[in-house]
Amino acid sequence: MAATIQSTTTPIPLDSRPEHIENILGGLDRYNPETVSVFQDYVQYQCENKTYDCLANLALLKLYQFNPHLTREETITNVLVKALTMFPGPDFSLCLHLLPPNILDPAISPEPLADAVRKLTHLNTLLESASYREFWNTYEADDLYADLVADCAGFEDTMRDMIALQTGAVAREIRTEVVSGWLNLGEEELKAFGERLGWKVEGDVVKLPLNRENEAKTTVFRENVTFNQFQGVVKRAYEQAA
Amino acid sequence: MSFSQVNGGPRPPHDDDSDDEVLASTLVEAIHGNDEEDDYEGETGSISGFQPSGDDIQQRLSAAAQPLEFQAGLPERFASYDKYCGLFAYLLNSEGPVDLEIPTYHWAWEVIDEFIYQFNTFCSYRHRVARKGGNEEEVQILKENPQTWGCYSVLNVLYSLIQRSQMNEQLAAIKKGEDPDEVAGEYGSRPLYRMLGYFSIIGLLRVHCLLGDFTLALKTLDDIELNKKAVFAKVMAAHFTTYYYVGFSYMMMRRYADAIRTFSHILVYVSRTKNYQKNNAQFDAVTKKNDQMYALIAMCVALCPVRLDDTIHASLREKYGDQFTKMQRGGPEAIPIFEELFMQACPKFISPNPPDFENPENNVDPAQHHLQVFMYDVKNTIFTPVLKSYLKLYTTMDLNKLASFVETDAETLRKQLVVYKQKNRQVRWTEGGLLEGELTQTADLDFALQGDIVHVSEAKVGRKLVDWYLRNLQKSFA
Repeated sequence: MAATIQSTTTPIPLDSRPEHIENILGGLDRYNPETVSVFQDYVQYQCENKTYDCLANLALLKLYQFNPHLTREETITNVLVKALTMFPGPDFSLCLHLLPPNILDPAISPEPLADAVRKLTHLNTLLESASYREFWNTYEADDLYADLVADCAGFEDTMRDMIALQTGAVAREIRTEVVSGWLNLGEEELKAFGERLGWKVEGDVVKLPLNRENEAKTTVFRENVTFNQFQGVVKRAYEQAA
Repeated sequence: MSFSQVNGGPRPPHDDDSDDEVLASTLVEAIHGNDEEDDYEGETGSISGFQPSGDDIQQRLSAAAQPLEFQAGLPERFASYDKYCGLFAYLLNSEGPVDLEIPTYHWAWEVIDEFIYQFNTFCSYRHRVARKGGNEEEVQILKENPQTWGCYSVLNVLYSLIQRSQMNEQLAAIKKGEDPDEVAGEYGSRPLYRMLGYFSIIGLLRVHCLLGDFTLALKTLDDIELNKKAVFAKVMAAHFTTYYYVGFSYMMMRRYADAIRTFSHILVYVSRTKNYQKNNAQFDAVTKKNDQMYALIAMCVALCPVRLDDTIHASLREKYGDQFTKMQRGGPEAIPIFEELFMQACPKFISPNPPDFENPENNVDPAQHHLQVFMYDVKNTIFTPVLKSYLKLYTTMDLNKLASFVETDAETLRKQLVVYKQKNRQVRWTEGGLLEGELTQTADLDFALQGDIVHVSEAKVGRKLVDWYLRNLQKSFA
C-alpha cells in the first residue's frame, strides 16, 4: 500500500504475513489487549528480518491508543523507524495519526517518547521534502538517532536503497557531487554502490540506466475503439436493408 | 477472553479478567441503578428488564432514534447511554431473535447514527470539561465513570450487531451472486437485525475515522460495494455519510485522486436529486455536510489538480471561489486557507480515552493533532503550482535558469522537482476493496533530469473521433 515509485528492486522484501497475524487482523482479536505481545514480537521480527507490515503495525498502535497503560515506548519508535523507510508513502503519517494528540507539542509533553517521536518526525519531514543531504547530516549529528534505529537491522542501507530508487526515477544523469551527498557516500563507495544498480560513475557525472520514470517521453493517449461501439450502427444497417 | 465472545453490553476498557457473565450482570445492575434517573426525560417506559411488552419496546425503539437535545447536560448523556445499552442488550441477548417490525424505514440508520453521534458529542463534551477545568461536580462524575460511552463499548455494540446478523457473510454471498438468506441465520434473516447489522458497518467506518484510523476505516467497507445500487443508497443520509467518511479517509491517506472521485460522485448525485430531496427531513443535515465536502474537494484539487465535473466546478466556485483560487495558486499564503477549511470540514475527531483531568493543558484537541499531520503534506506540496506553471512553458530548460524564475537556488529546486515527481504518482483505486489500487500518474506534466537540464514531457490526449463519427452516422440514417 505504500506509494513508492515502482522499480525492479524492492528494497524491503514484502514477505507474506504469518498466518497467526493474519488471523488476528481478520477477527476481533485485533482489539484484544492480550494480543499486544504478539504484535510486539512481530515488530521485533520485522526489524530483524527487514520485512514490513503496515496493517499489523497500525493495529498495534490502535491497541496502544485504546489501552495506554500497555504502551511500550521502544516498540512505538521501532514502528516509526520502520515506517520511515517507506517514504514517500503515507505510512509514517498514518502512524502519527494514531499516537496521542499531545505528542507533537514540545511545550506539553516533554517526556522521552514524545521527544523521540518529534525527532523522527523531523527526519520524516526531511525525507518527504527530498532533503536527503540534510537527512544524513541531521541523522549523524545526534546520537539519539543511532539508539532509535539500533533495533532496525540495516536501516542505513535501506534508506540508501530508497533514496537511490528516487534518484533513479528523476534523473538519467546527475552530478556525482549531488548524488554522493544524497546517499552519504564517498566517491569510491558510490562506485561500488552504483555498480549494483547499473549506474556508471564517469568523472563528475553519474549515468543512470533508463527506466519508465526517467525517460520523460511525451505520450499521446489514443482512444480505444471497440467493435461494440459500432454495434448499433451495424445492426441498423441490417434492419434497413431488410 | 477474546473480544469476539462478548455480545452486547459495554466492556470495561481496562478490565481484562471480566467474562461474559460478569459483564452481563454489571449491565443489568447498571440498568437497574439508573431507574430513578429516568424521570427527567419524561417517561418513555421503565428500563428494568429484558422482557418488556411489545408497546414498550416499540416506544424505546423510536426513542433511540430521537436526537438528544443540543443543550443536554451530563445526567441526560449518562441516561441516554444506559438506554442504548439496555436496548442493544435486549436485542442481542434475549433468548432468540426479538420478533419486531422496524418502526419506520429509516429507523435502523437513525438509531446507529444517533448512537454514534451521541458517543461523539459525549467525548467532545468530556474533553471540553477536562480542558476548561471548570465544574468540579462534572469532573468528579466523569472521573468516576470512565466506561460510560467508552470506545470499547461502542465498538462492541457495532461489532455484535454485525456478527449477530452475519452481515459480512451475507454481503460476501451477495457479492458472489448467492442468496444471502442461506447464510443469514436466525437473526440475520429478519429485517430488524439485517438493517442494524448493515448500518453498523457504516457506523464502524465512521468511528474508525473519528479515531484517526483511516486505513481500518476503509478496510471496514471491504464487503460493501460503493455504488448507487448499494443498500445505504436507499437512505439519503446514510448514502451521504458513507461517501463523506470514505472520501475523508482517502484524503488523509494522501490518495487525493480517490478522494476527489468519491466526493465528486456524491456531490453530483446530490445536485441532481436536490429537487426531490428538498422536502425530506434529512435535507438540512445533508446541506451542511454538502458544504463541508465542497471544502474538502477544493483542498484535494489544489493538492492534486484534475478536471472536475462541470456542475461541481461551478458550485465550488460559487461557495469557495476565493479560497479555491488562493489554494490553487499555492505558496505560503495558501497555508492558512488549508488550515481554516480543514477545521471547518473535518469530522469531530475524538480521543478514545478519558482525558487528563489533573493537567488541563495536556488535553490537546485531537483535530489539531490530525491537522498538524495533514499539514506536513500540504506544506511539502505548496510550491508545486508555481513550479508547474513554468514547466508547462518549456520542453527543455536549464536547472539554474528555472531556479532563478521560481526565485530559489538550484539545490532547492532539485528537491522540489523530486517532490513534484513523487506527488505526481498516486495509488488509485480500480477494483476490489477500497484500499486496493494501482500506482498511476495524476498530472499530465512529467520531467526527467539530465545533469542540469530538465526535460519536460507531457501526456496528451489525442482527438476523440469515435463519438463524432457515430453521431454523424446516426444522422445519416435518419
